[in-house]
Amino acid sequence: MRDDPVTTPVALIEDLAVTFRRGGRDIHALRGVSLDIRPAEILGLVGESGSGKSVLGMSLLGLLPGTPQTRGRVLVHGEDMLVAPPAVRRRLRHEHLGAVFQDPMTSLNPTMRVGAQVAEAADGSGAEAERLLKAVGIPEAGRRMSAYPHELSGGLRQRVMIAMAIAGKPSLVIADEPTTALDVTVQAQVLALIRSLRDEIGCSFLLITHDLGVAAQVADRVAVMYAGRLAECGPTDAVLQAAAHPYSLGLMTSRLTLESPRDTRLATLPGEVPSPADPPPGCPFEPRCALSTEACTETLPDAVEIAPDHLSACILPISEVRSHSVESRSVPHPPEPESGKHLPLLDESTVVVRRVEKTYRVGKGLAKGRLRALREVDLTVAAGESVAIVGESGSGKSTLLRIIGGLERADLGDVTHGRVQMVFQDCGASLTPWLTVGELIGERLPRAARKEEVERALERVGLPAEVAGAKAGQLSGGQRQRVALARATVIPPEILLCDEPTSALDVSLAAGVINLIAGLRRDLHMAVVFVTHDLSVARIVADRIAVMYLGRIVEQGPAEDVVGSPRHPYTKALVAAIPDFGVKPIPLEGEPASPLNPPTGCAFHPRCPIALPVCSDADLDPRLIGIGSGAARMVACIHPEVA
Amino acid sequence: MLRLIAKRLAGMAAIIFALTAVIFLLQKISPLDPVHAMLGGNASKAAIAQQRHALGLDRPILSQFWHYLGGLLHGDFGTSYRTRRPVGSDLGFFVPATLELAFYGLLFAIVLAVLLAFGTTLNWPGARLLRVVLLAGASTPAFLLAIGAIIIFYQHLGWLPATGRTDLTNAPDGPTGLLTLDGLLNGRLDVTVDAFKHLILPGLAVAAGPAVSIGRVLRSSLIGEMQSGYAKTARAKGLTEGRVLRGHVLRNSLGPALSMTGLQVGLMFAGVLVIEEIFSWPGIGQYTAQSIPVADFPAIAGVTLLLGVGYVVINTIVDILQAIADPRINI
Ligand SMILES: Nc1ncnc2c1ncn2[C@@H]1O[C@H](COP(=O)(O)OP(=O)(O)O)[C@@H](O)[C@H]1O
Ligand code: SF4
Ligand code: SF4
Ligand SMILES: [Mg+2]
Repeated sequence: MRDDPVTTPVALIEDLAVTFRRGGRDIHALRGVSLDIRPAEILGLVGESGSGKSVLGMSLLGLLPGTPQTRGRVLVHGEDMLVAPPAVRRRLRHEHLGAVFQDPMTSLNPTMRVGAQVAEAADGSGAEAERLLKAVGIPEAGRRMSAYPHELSGGLRQRVMIAMAIAGKPSLVIADEPTTALDVTVQAQVLALIRSLRDEIGCSFLLITHDLGVAAQVADRVAVMYAGRLAECGPTDAVLQAAAHPYSLGLMTSRLTLESPRDTRLATLPGEVPSPADPPPGCPFEPRCALSTEACTETLPDAVEIAPDHLSACILPISEVRSHSVESRSVPHPPEPESGKHLPLLDESTVVVRRVEKTYRVGKGLAKGRLRALREVDLTVAAGESVAIVGESGSGKSTLLRIIGGLERADLGDVTHGRVQMVFQDCGASLTPWLTVGELIGERLPRAARKEEVERALERVGLPAEVAGAKAGQLSGGQRQRVALARATVIPPEILLCDEPTSALDVSLAAGVINLIAGLRRDLHMAVVFVTHDLSVARIVADRIAVMYLGRIVEQGPAEDVVGSPRHPYTKALVAAIPDFGVKPIPLEGEPASPLNPPTGCAFHPRCPIALPVCSDADLDPRLIGIGSGAARMVACIHPEVA
Repeated sequence: MLRLIAKRLAGMAAIIFALTAVIFLLQKISPLDPVHAMLGGNASKAAIAQQRHALGLDRPILSQFWHYLGGLLHGDFGTSYRTRRPVGSDLGFFVPATLELAFYGLLFAIVLAVLLAFGTTLNWPGARLLRVVLLAGASTPAFLLAIGAIIIFYQHLGWLPATGRTDLTNAPDGPTGLLTLDGLLNGRLDVTVDAFKHLILPGLAVAAGPAVSIGRVLRSSLIGEMQSGYAKTARAKGLTEGRVLRGHVLRNSLGPALSMTGLQVGLMFAGVLVIEEIFSWPGIGQYTAQSIPVADFPAIAGVTLLLGVGYVVINTIVDILQAIADPRINI
């Protein structure tokens, strides 16, 4: 190792391979990865699920589950975390490493006060624990010391996790998807916190994320993983703006942003990730790579330096990859057969929701309460129209969808709609595991026509006919979502209701499902109501967007207008919170209030940067009113500059 | 907490009422005639009639029932047909012995369960042996286990006594009636030690079954929780496996084990009654065993009610402990 303290990496991974044994098969989670983490840097580790990011993080912590076979070295402070005795690894974790995991609810001990949990990481000192809680921006830290995790919001819980991770000034914090379970406005806060902690404490972060936008926003360098291998690694702007590896390029182009073209099919990567039980001998990306040659199937390409500090694991010379990418960019995506979006027949509405109220009774005993999920919501969807409902957790978007779908009854108000079918986020859970795909899709069909209809439905969603014989558990996530869509559309409904159908999928698969929904809608002349927390998805799939906050629609209008020139302060904050390269978000403060006890007046007022004194008046009740010309654009805000 | 206790008190009243009604009905439909049982087969007709009147058995059924219930409310369990003494004072004499045995049985069960669960979770040496011994013990009927223990540890090895509560003739008989405690209270350590020795064999015989049931539940929740996210966090802090287990996982695993303990207590009462018989333990087991053949219904009713109340009390305690262990439980 070099002696220079500035360039001596805080962690050095050399040719790391990890193989698990599961169900009698070898699972090659990592297959020879080399990586250094430098002092005080944020290294973004990106890749699709299953690419080995978490296994790499756990290797650094010396906490690999079970007893996998390993090869190579993972050096932290001169000790190899793969082979050091448990006591040495514990000491290194205690003194030099910190960890933040994805779900702060399950990662904190539910039966221990948060102060005690932080103190445990700070050698038992309560005063230090309180200082740490303050340092991560927890308001009223002293009082919060004695709270239990379930008494805190998701964002505060993740701040507690970060406080534990930075206790004792570690040199490296491994943060595995630290913002994935958070709302987008809260994610922006946590990312800002990570950045400022790095600046103050000078510790390095390994930021593991599947979201390129997150990496783009805070990372100094980015490493892209694919199928247990490092595909590319380099400075953030080089990797994300001028990717050198065909896989990274593919990821960047299939990724949705607020600028993605709306009227063309989204770029997708064909095929799926190879099975970790049976990786191909050559380049793991070869089966999906548009540039692959004979030679790619023979040797496993190693990451080589293609520019200063920029590595790529592709055997093609960089110039060739670049010229291809320019080529593919200059060729426009095939336009939709009907140019532009399908125009809805606006006078013919297929869903009408009028002044709908829904209140759930929750809790028992003293915690009994009324959760106001929907508060006087109006929504109209025209025949053939596509409407996206956007909002953070607890905004009531899924409740509204379930009421439209008839899975639940409104307490008050009217709902009328045509024939509906629903598709859910967790498509695995909504497909009966013991039925074959054919039986699932054909359930509602008359026996005689069943076989052909099922085949036709499968073809429509881009699955081969053989899939009909498989059970849901044998399919990948993307395939299951296609089966769910085939089942929903085998008898075309008038309205297709989708609840976050892409949020559990990786970028390249999500793009495919979005293309599919757009195609089905056009071919089958369905209206689509699409619930999502992601504005960039909403912008692509919808003609119109309705933004919800605490059981209310606060803004609605044509998709491009709502995203391009948001009017309501909340919509503005949502748009600004989407992480991306070169974006400097000004995070909205606070978190959505509890629908158990929505604030009086305009429910957004505690977080609203332009709130007026009257906004908290109990008598105030901002309703959606039309702005500009026509009734298409509506905002629920009383501020003179907004309405 | 107060709400819970109030709810449980109401539950207790309901259980006692139901138990009383059932016992009372059983008594009425039983072919055994308590008067015959008391006076013997060749008593005169007049004596029988007189006795029936004295016991109130000639009154209408409902009135008898109300009378009995009213008596219970005043702590009057009636008079034993057999001993001719108030059932209340009989119970006062026998209950402490049973209580002490049940308490130690529960204690042994919990200690063994925790050893079993911790041992397998942390891979202690010897944990396997303990598991095999306990499993074998639990799959043997309690009375066989008791007899086996007597043969080995009393007859062959002579390590431990096998009958009664104490060998001392001058043991103090107050204030609690629990010998191990009274020994301490009266400054007689010899009594405590002797009583404890007498408790070991019957206590273990009572504990074996519950120990395995509780231990298994605890073990599987410990193993599950050791894989949880917060255990991962605790390891990432650099804690040892032992500290992860004791400091984080244990409290989160208690819920199911506590529920199982509550269930096992009910079963344990039944076990205690059998074990007392084998170890000549002067507790309510013996009292009951002597009362049943002579259809001493007031005595049987008293014992049953007591056990019912004991069960409700223990389960209330279990609920309260669960709420203390898990702050998310709202009571
Ligand atoms: N404990 C384990 N046992 C067996 N296989 C595992 C285990 N942990 C991870 N894997 C496998 O290793 C591969 C990489 O997983 P992971 O690092 O979690 O991916 P990522 O974090 O990039 O989504 C996957 O195929 C996963 O199924
Ligand atoms: S090595 Fe071949 S298959 Fe792999 S990324 Fe490069 S061109 Fe594609
Ligand atoms: S009504 Fe007031 S608080 Fe609500 S969004 Fe408008 S300005 Fe903000
Ligand atoms: Mg992961």
